[in-house]
This record gives sequence, C-alpha cells and structure tokens, in this order.
Amino acid sequence: MNRREFIGRAAAAGGALLLAENGESRPKAPSDQINLGIIGPGSRGQQLMRTFLRVPGVRFAGLCDVYEPRFAAAREITKENTPIYHDYRELLAARDLDAVIVSTPLSLHSQHEIAVLESGRHVYGEKSLALTVEECYSIVDAVKRTGKHFQVGLQYHYAPWYRETLRRIQVGKIGRVTQVYAYWHRNNSWRRPVPNGSDKKLERLINWRLYKEYSGGLVAELGSHHINFANEVFGSMPEMVVGSGGIDFWKDGRETQDNVQVTYRYPSGQTLVFSAITTNQLDGAQVRVYGTDGSAVLTESDAIFYYEPKRPQSAVAQQTIVEHGIVTGASYRSEMPYRGPGESVSVPKDKQGSPDYVACASFIDSIRRNQRPEADEQVALAAGMAVALGNQAIDQGKRIVFSEHSRQT
Amino acid sequence: MKSPDELFVQSRNAMGTVFTIYLYAHDGELAGVLFESAFEEIERLEEALSNYRATSELSRINRLAAEQAVTTDPEVFALLQTSLAYSRRSAGAFDVTVGPLMQAWGFFRGEGRYPTDAELERARESVGSEKIYLDRATRTVRFAAPGVELDLGAIGKGYAVDRAVKVLREAGVKAALVDAGSSTLYAMNAPPGKSAWTVHVPRPGDRSQTVSTVALRNESLSTSGSYEQFFQLDGRRYCHVMDPRDGVPVQGVLQATLIAPDGTTTDAFSNAMFVMGPEAGSKLLATVSGARGLWILGEPESQRLVQWQWQDCAGVGDGDAQTLVTKREKGKEQIAR
Repeated sequence: MNRREFIGRAAAAGGALLLAENGESRPKAPSDQINLGIIGPGSRGQQLMRTFLRVPGVRFAGLCDVYEPRFAAAREITKENTPIYHDYRELLAARDLDAVIVSTPLSLHSQHEIAVLESGRHVYGEKSLALTVEECYSIVDAVKRTGKHFQVGLQYHYAPWYRETLRRIQVGKIGRVTQVYAYWHRNNSWRRPVPNGSDKKLERLINWRLYKEYSGGLVAELGSHHINFANEVFGSMPEMVVGSGGIDFWKDGRETQDNVQVTYRYPSGQTLVFSAITTNQLDGAQVRVYGTDGSAVLTESDAIFYYEPKRPQSAVAQQTIVEHGIVTGASYRSEMPYRGPGESVSVPKDKQGSPDYVACASFIDSIRRNQRPEADEQVALAAGMAVALGNQAIDQGKRIVFSEHSRQT
Repeated sequence: MKSPDELFVQSRNAMGTVFTIYLYAHDGELAGVLFESAFEEIERLEEALSNYRATSELSRINRLAAEQAVTTDPEVFALLQTSLAYSRRSAGAFDVTVGPLMQAWGFFRGEGRYPTDAELERARESVGSEKIYLDRATRTVRFAAPGVELDLGAIGKGYAVDRAVKVLREAGVKAALVDAGSSTLYAMNAPPGKSAWTVHVPRPGDRSQTVSTVALRNESLSTSGSYEQFFQLDGRRYCHVMDPRDGVPVQGVLQATLIAPDGTTTDAFSNAMFVMGPEAGSKLLATVSGARGLWILGEPESQRLVQWQWQDCAGVGDGDAQTLVTKREKGKEQIAR
C-alpha cells in the first residue's frame, strides 16, 4: 500500500465514526439481523461479545472453544442458550452465520480465519494478524479469493481521539514528524489464574500469551496497536527493524520475553521505537509522536498536543541586545524536559465513543452496507508483518529488512 | 508439606473510590495474578458503568437515549432492569436518575447550595425512574425527555464487588474480603481458623468508635452515611444524600447499614434505607431474603440506633437500640435479583 492509499483510508474513517455513534447501522428490517459466531471466547473474546451486543440487530448464533468453562461464561454474556461447538468446523457448518469473530491464540489465527472466509463468512480477527509472515499473507490471499470482509481487532484505529490526532498531524500541526516513541509498560506477571489442579497443558492454553508455540509475546499483544498508529502517521509499513529483549525478571517457565525493545525504520527516514516492560508502570501505555513543531501524546483515553518553542526569536528581543549589549559567561543551555501543560484534543459529542464500540459498530456497518472495513486486511498486514519481523529481529539478534520478506498481494 | 496460605492485600483506585481486596493465597506471585484478574474485572465494569468517562457504555447511553432507543449489552441492560426494579420496590427512594437534583444542589462540586424554585422544578422534570423506558425485546434504553441521565453510582460499586468475588471464587480462592471504599464489602468464606470476617460499624462522625461488630461470612454489608458531608443553610443541616421523591436532601438520618446476600442489593438498598428511614425502610428490608438493617438517627451529638433483624447476627454496643418488630413478609420475600 502506498502513502496516498494510507492517507485516503485515514480520511474516510471520520465518516465511519459518525455513522457508528449515531446508530445509523441499525437494522432496517428483521432480516437485517447479523448473526455472529465466535471462535475463542476467552477474556478478549468475551469483551468483544459484550461490545458487539451493543450494536443494534446483532445476535450470537454460535460459540466455539476447546475449554469447557468458556461456554458458561459466554452464555452468561448472551443471556441465552447460544449453541456451542467444540470444533470450529462444526461451528462453520451451521447455516445461520453472517460473520465470525476469531479471538484464538495468535498461532491459530490463519487456520481459523481462512476456514471462516472459505465458508463464505466475514471475519473480525483479533490482532495481531498472524504469527508468521507467511500466515499473514495466506489470510490476505484468502480475503482476496473469497471477496469477504476482514476487519482486524486494532480498535485504536477507530478511537475518536486517535483519528482527530492523526488529522491534526496530517495537516501539519506539529510540523514534520520524525519519530514515534511508544511504550506499553506494566508492572505485573501477565499471567492469568489457572484453576487448582490444572495440568500443564491447560496452563499453557490459558496462559498462551507466554508460550512461543502460540504467541508473539509483547510485540504482538501490545505493540501491534502502537505499530499500527506509527504506520498511519508515517503513511506506510516499516522497511527495517532491529530489536532486543529477554526473560530477565519473570523466570517462571515462560517462553516469550518479559521485556522487549524494537526500533523500526520507515522509508522516508522516520523511526518508531517501541518498548514493553513488565516491571514498572510509570509510563503506562502511550504513544509519543515527535514533530519539528510539536508533539502529540496519545493514551488509552485521551491525546494531548505540545508545541515546540517558536523559531526564530522576536524582533523585540533582538533590539534589546542591540541597545544594551549581551552578557558573557559559561556556556549554558537548558535541556530540561518540558513539564508544563499541553493542549487536550477534544472530540465533538457526536464523534465520542469507546474504541471497541466504534470498531465493532463499524464492522457491522461494513457488512450491512457491503463496504470494506477501515482496518481491513491490508492495515492488518502492515502491522502484522511488522510484529512478526520485530520478533524475528529480537530472536535472531539481527537487523531484518522488510523487502526480503514481502511480496505483492 | 504445603505451607499454609498467607493473607495478601492490594488497593487500587476505581469508580471514584479505593477498592481494597484481602485474600489468602499460597504465595505472593499467585496473589499478584489473583489481584490482577479481580481488579481487571472491576476496571472493566468502571469502563462500562462510569458516567465520568466519555468512552463508557453508560455515557454512550446518556448521550443518545433522549433522541433514540439505544441498544446495550445484556449485562448493562440487566443492571438497568435491576436498578428500575429496585426503584419500584423502594417506591422511588433508590433512583438512578437522581443526577440532575444532585447537580441543582451543587453536590457534584462537593459543596451545597439551595437551588431556586425554577432550578428545582427543572431538575425534577428529569428525575424519576419512570422516565427510563427499557424494551426487553430489543434490549434498548430510551429516555422520556432530554435532560434525563443515568447515574449508577449507588449500585455499580456493589455490582463490581459481586463480580470481583465471582472472579476470585472461580480462580479457586478460599477466603477473601472485597471492599469498595469501605461502604460496600463482601466477605467470602472466612480466614483460616476463623468462622467469619469481622466488620465494625462505626459511630457516625467518629470511625474510632464501634456501634456494632458483625461476623460476616458469604454475605455483603453496605453502609450509607452522610456525616462527612454537610452544609448549613438557614439554620438547617442538609446532608449530601438526596431524597429523589421530593428533591430535598434527607434529614435526621446519619447512617444506614444493611447486610444481605449480595453487594448489588446492599449497595442500592442501604441507600434506600437511608432515604426511607426505619419505618418504611424495614418494610422494604422485609422483602429481601436474609436482610438485616441498622439505622443511626438524630444529630451527630445525639444519636439514636434502630435495628431490624440486626440482633440475629451482631451485638449493638450501646445496648439501648430500639428494635423494630416489622415481620418478614412470609411469601413476599424475594430473592435479591
């Protein structure tokens, strides 16, 4: 995808937001009901279920998992006896499905999503796109082959304050953007409780994020959101990545790193630095966008702009020097970080909404109007490839060049 | 041999207060995982039910429901159904639409002022649970008029306590105490070697003095109080608890404490008890399975205790509490939710 396509898509997203919040996507007739299935109603899947059920005319017609307790939890959300399936192929054999949410462990995305697409259903696929670059491309190919809609679960792509921030950046409010520094800093083990007496297999299943068989670790589960935003700011996917990371604190049998640092270079000489740690949460989750005239700092719930000191100095100050002379002394220039206030991004009332809600409502809207989702398979590919190659850079300890792994879709 | 479980505690800010969870776990690492999942559930509910966050589901409903029927998810819809049912059962003493009245009296800014007749009239037009239409078939919420807004502040914390307890139970925790800002708490089982968790009900205005000590096990206790926020006007003392029925703050009640099987009920009905007072309030409690109530009336300097079924579970320190004899209404008892 080129820069113009990227920017064109970003501009269109504003319209989709408005539709979603005003409830335009409500069904016109009972036959407009959208029946959803879900493969993998774990913690994230359950949150998606609740959110999709806030969209008018949406119903869950099938729940699929391999872990029995998930069915009761998911039925508690639908508050009905939604049919359950232990095998995704049985779910896909059901007749009344329009689309399927895939919120399974990352390594299973391509298998599940391609099967859903081949069965003639649209996909809402959790991020990241897939574990390997090859799997990413195989999903993109399947979307093209089947002509079905695919939306990736990068919900911040739809966050109203992210859209507004991107718009301001694109009209030049902070000058030329050269760097994005993004953090996802936590202070916990990233583990989930496992029922007493569970065997190792169940522990690996519940804590799949910690095992390489299933997971792309912190870069995939947390970094993908920030990488996607940097892709939007820079108008393309990266061209090169280096990385480091390790299991340095939580030596509890996990296989994915408990801290990662990846640096991506973009084609026009811009840089994204992403850091995720699990031992300190001072910085939380935030994206800092640095431009020559200012900065934008985005969090899970807001965005703030800061502006650089104006250049050049005013004529009045110059005149003072001419009349009174200049004082000499030791060389000094303050490089203290700025600690003053910024300018909050306010979102108009009719464009407010949670990232999850706007993302889910937009997906249903795409199905009803038969329009491409904003965060489609190309957006997913750009972020998903960066995740997969970022992990390769960490694991192999070498610089990875994107062009050696990419191909036309 | 496995070493015995240890007690762990963690507090986090949520829902405008501090939630504290005490739990027994084998080691600190496991305790950390358990805290994380319980607080994640509380945080999830704050993100759904907050009316301070523009991104919450409740804020979305408040923004849109005066103009259109708003579809919401079954969980939020069920909590709204419960809220309206509790309004009916308490004859309007518990009311999730009370926000505009609180606003008119200046309570949201932490102060207090007497509203003008026009302000009061305008606020009253937006208050009353009958102004909320719920359609079960479409799972939609609609407001009867502009200006109506939902505020789940008097039930949401209790619901969050219940859900956090459920998460801990499902994770295999044997004993825990989940506390939302000390006003609503739930005691799961009992600490090792004990038969219950101990809860002290303080004297209004002096938390160092106890008026009653309760042994709590697999039940919730909530306290509604007004003694920390008062304002004086024309020689009268007003508290910050609103009686939604007449639009005037409650007078003459200092504290109401309720024990019942779940936090959603104790949170909402301790508030209703406060507004209704002992006579009407005990009739409400008679419809709640397993409920016991304790009121403290009067003024901070001359307090009077009234209890209903309270002596079943706890002693009252003063020994001179008035005991109400309202009978449980046989056959009219209802399961809390």
